[in-house]
Amino acid sequence: MFIVQVGALLIALIYYANAQTSVVAVNTTIPGSELSASGLRQLAAAVVPQSPVFHPSLRSQFSLNLLSAFPEDLEVSDYCVALLAIFGQRYSTYVNCLVSAARPVKVCQNCYGTYGNLMEIYKNISDQMGPGNVSCRDSLLRSDRLMLVFLLYSNMEDIWTASECNRCVSLRDHSLTNDTLYFMETLNQSLSCFEKYQKQGNHSELCTECKATYRGLNELYSRMEKNHTLCIDIEDSDLVLFQMNMTRILWSKDFNCSFPRAETVPVIAVSSFMLFLPIIFYLSSFLHSEQKKRKLIHPKRAKSNPSFINIQDKFS
Amino acid sequence: MANITKKVSWSSRGDESGGGERTPLLNGSEEVRYTRQFSGDGGMFHIGRLSTVDLEEDMTSDEDSVRGCPKEIPHNEKLLSLKYESLDYDNSENQLFLEEERRMSFLGFKCLEISRWVICGLIGFLTGLIACCIDIAVENLAGVKYFVVKQNIEKFTEVGGLSISLILWAVLNSAFVMVGAVIVAFFEPGAAGSGIPQIKCYLNGVKIPRVVRLKTLVVKVCGVICSVAGGLAVGKEGPMIHSGAVVAAGVSQGRSTSLKKDFKIFEYFRRDTEKRDFVSAGAAAGVSAAFGAPVGGVLFSLEEGASFWNQMLTWRIFFASMISTFTLNFFLSIYNKKPGDLSSPGLINFGRFESDSVAYNLYEIPLFIVMGAVGGLLGALFNILNYWLTIFRIRYVHRPCLQVMEAMLVAAVTATVSFAMIYFSNDCQPLGPDQSEDYPLQLFCADGEYNSMATAFFNTPERSVRSLFHNPPGSYNPLTLSLFTLTYFFLACWTYGLTVSAGVFIPSLLIGAAWGRLFGILLASITPNGSIWADPGKYALIGAAAQLGGIVRMTLSLTVIMVEATGNVTYGLPIMLVLLTAKIVGDYFVEGLYDIHIKLQSVPFLHLEAPATSHWLTAREVMGAPVTCFNRIEKVGTIVDVLSNTSTNHNGFPVVVPVAASDDMGKICGLILRSQLIVLLKHKVFVELARSRLTQRKLQLKDFRDAYPRFPPIQSIHVSQDERECMMDLTEFMNPTPYTVPQETSLPRVFKLFRALGLRHLVVVDSENRVVGLVTRKDLARYHMGKHGLEEMQLAQT
Repeated sequence: MFIVQVGALLIALIYYANAQTSVVAVNTTIPGSELSASGLRQLAAAVVPQSPVFHPSLRSQFSLNLLSAFPEDLEVSDYCVALLAIFGQRYSTYVNCLVSAARPVKVCQNCYGTYGNLMEIYKNISDQMGPGNVSCRDSLLRSDRLMLVFLLYSNMEDIWTASECNRCVSLRDHSLTNDTLYFMETLNQSLSCFEKYQKQGNHSELCTECKATYRGLNELYSRMEKNHTLCIDIEDSDLVLFQMNMTRILWSKDFNCSFPRAETVPVIAVSSFMLFLPIIFYLSSFLHSEQKKRKLIHPKRAKSNPSFINIQDKFS
Repeated sequence: MANITKKVSWSSRGDESGGGERTPLLNGSEEVRYTRQFSGDGGMFHIGRLSTVDLEEDMTSDEDSVRGCPKEIPHNEKLLSLKYESLDYDNSENQLFLEEERRMSFLGFKCLEISRWVICGLIGFLTGLIACCIDIAVENLAGVKYFVVKQNIEKFTEVGGLSISLILWAVLNSAFVMVGAVIVAFFEPGAAGSGIPQIKCYLNGVKIPRVVRLKTLVVKVCGVICSVAGGLAVGKEGPMIHSGAVVAAGVSQGRSTSLKKDFKIFEYFRRDTEKRDFVSAGAAAGVSAAFGAPVGGVLFSLEEGASFWNQMLTWRIFFASMISTFTLNFFLSIYNKKPGDLSSPGLINFGRFESDSVAYNLYEIPLFIVMGAVGGLLGALFNILNYWLTIFRIRYVHRPCLQVMEAMLVAAVTATVSFAMIYFSNDCQPLGPDQSEDYPLQLFCADGEYNSMATAFFNTPERSVRSLFHNPPGSYNPLTLSLFTLTYFFLACWTYGLTVSAGVFIPSLLIGAAWGRLFGILLASITPNGSIWADPGKYALIGAAAQLGGIVRMTLSLTVIMVEATGNVTYGLPIMLVLLTAKIVGDYFVEGLYDIHIKLQSVPFLHLEAPATSHWLTAREVMGAPVTCFNRIEKVGTIVDVLSNTSTNHNGFPVVVPVAASDDMGKICGLILRSQLIVLLKHKVFVELARSRLTQRKLQLKDFRDAYPRFPPIQSIHVSQDERECMMDLTEFMNPTPYTVPQETSLPRVFKLFRALGLRHLVVVDSENRVVGLVTRKDLARYHMGKHGLEEMQLAQT
């Protein structure tokens, strides 16, 4: 009998939590031992008749019952409220950072630290047990339909994933990855080379002089593209910031250092030779090849017989 | 192209002066006397219903030429070749058959039914496996080729010397294609082309020599891998259908005559009727593996072999199709390192159309119909050009080494044209992260951009189709697309009919997708803010359907195949409308490509119905006469002489009872086939021997099946002088109830019997049941509707 009562209590608690926490946010814990026997009985009486078909419309009435039973019992613990506050703080820091690094895009470079902090606090909320074995996961993350905290965090996570920042920032070491640092260095080399020769106003010299560094940069970039070690900071093009695409545009369009279409004559010569071959082939096979003939066969057919002639008459 | 066309017509005109190429009707015979008689007949026809021109003139010129030996004319479409024979779909219900049926228990029949299902499963499995092998082989070979060429081009873009890359590309292409063409031309010419015409003929009831042999399968598979990897404008889907059919024919027989291996299973299925059912299942499995379209496969089989089917057969065919798709997906999932993922469909994967781009509106329907009409027109043009080219090829490029050379030249020119296009193209597009180009070529584009023409040309055709369908708007500029369409149209037209095994599905789709996309882009640019609904990918799909429909003219099955291959039922209506329009418009000008090729092969193909306005022709005019008959008890010498006569290569002989007091034909009492007679002669089933050797084993149906399908020629059977005097009793072996018709039966009626029952011989009898003639497939197939009404084709030896 006792087991049944406890079971009923637990069911009631779950429903209560679902129904109430979004409405009331009071600071209390409910240790199970504090419940009195009479309270239990009362609870069971309230739940059992209704539980088989538990309509949402009945919920308000039911929760009202319960409220009267435990006025300030079901609350979010102090600990969780504190966590929530920290979360809010870090969240706004991160968002601020994102906004300020949006143009030119430097979200990975500038904000990996704040993102790391945010991730840490979220981990605390979702995984760890606080003092007195309190988990804030249910009370903060899952207790209502909106699940606001979760939603906020997942939005930020999406931004982070979309920017592929994981590829150039290692959150564990709180630093940019070595590849990225190396890339930045090469990029700076190329850019300084560009700058140096651009002042002289001679692009052809720039093309020959900076070719080596630019090639190196370009190859490094292609390699990183292939290995998937690119994040948005490197990929993104921006007129102000000298980033990869911009560098490429500088190189190919502004300085005009792409390869010229220089061998039109040989290509045309070879192509027309190739195109000429089939004409020769078909002409020669037409002129020299023996035409295939078919031997006709004459099938045996009915010779004209009297009745056949009748039909002829019929037609004529 | 126009050049060649002119030459062909010129040459045929030149020959006409000698022989009269298109003698309209029943022209002449071996003797002049005969001819005169027939000129009388011709006159009759002339007066009667036919409006043939210059009949008398032709006849007189015939008389001159006929005086010599048999007339020779250049190959043309109005011929029927003697090398094609009918399949024996009609069951010979002789005494042996009845005995066997009596002996067979109820359980035996159950087992047969189960083994039919097992065979269908095996067919599906093996077909799927072959498809998988082809896919992987092509992918890897083409990958290696494009990688090498790409490396080379990149190197030479920097240091100069791009013409060397061009030569490298051309040589690589030619090398691949040479291998493919050599094995086809020298080892198995039957494996050339897509194989769909051949399978169509087979299901129609024509025995195409060597079409369902193991050797053909091997050559076909290797050939298609080579030709696709060789960069020709071809696809691997048509050959897949042929491969499926060969697998079916092989598996259902439980043995391979080529490997001389008999597994002693499925012996019951060793006859044409059963084999045909399995071949249709194999063709369905092939389609289903090629396009990931199981239902489309079944419908293809029904559409092409529609004269014989029933519900149980359809259900089994569907089973084979399903198994085939499943097998292919399973093995591809292992290959792609995602074992167990069964959702990647088909050899050709059109990719998924996302839900926002699939929407279409009522006002787009007229546009779709216009596109269908354009597809029909272009398809007709394609077919006409290919028709002239094929005639030229048959007449002048018939030696195997010439054929190999031609294929290599086409491969080299394809590479050259593609390279030139890419080289001179100025269309550079940024390489987005969502595009999965495998071999982007930068060439003279800025860094970070790629040459847009190269995505279309520097790729296997199948991938090009996919990028045309799915690349975001703006990845191609209109000039690139129109140049590509134009070039690829002529390349594909030139390629189809080469002596390599290759299909026409993918090239057609590619041409259509290119102009469809162009259409979509132009539409978006002329409408003020219409770029929302004029999604180029959608129009590419519709264009592809229109072009394919315009070329091959399939209807129901093609719609379902397209719907299944795109995995999107929403497009069902537009695709259907487009195919309908394309077929109507195209049929106004010329037949479908497969039908043209069937005609050019001189195959006696029976269409769905007898030609219109042929009711006045009766069986008497159609039939062959006089008929070579045998008596119920016939002398062995006579039989051997008749069978050995090379000039009359008959296959069915009515068995007659002589009528007393008349030298006329006897009354019919049965029909016996050449193959049966040969088996009888081989086993020496003579009346005299049976008397002397009482212990001799009685001949069973099994002995006939063991010899199937390659009955030995009569020359290989030795009959001694003594044995020639013996007698043979045919009663037990002949089909005692052959189908007969009276002389006055009209041609359409005879035709219907042939088509519906799958007959091979139809005996024409008079009122007293005496044999007067015999109608065979060739007698019916020679009538067709021409420009001047009903025309008759000539028989030719090939």
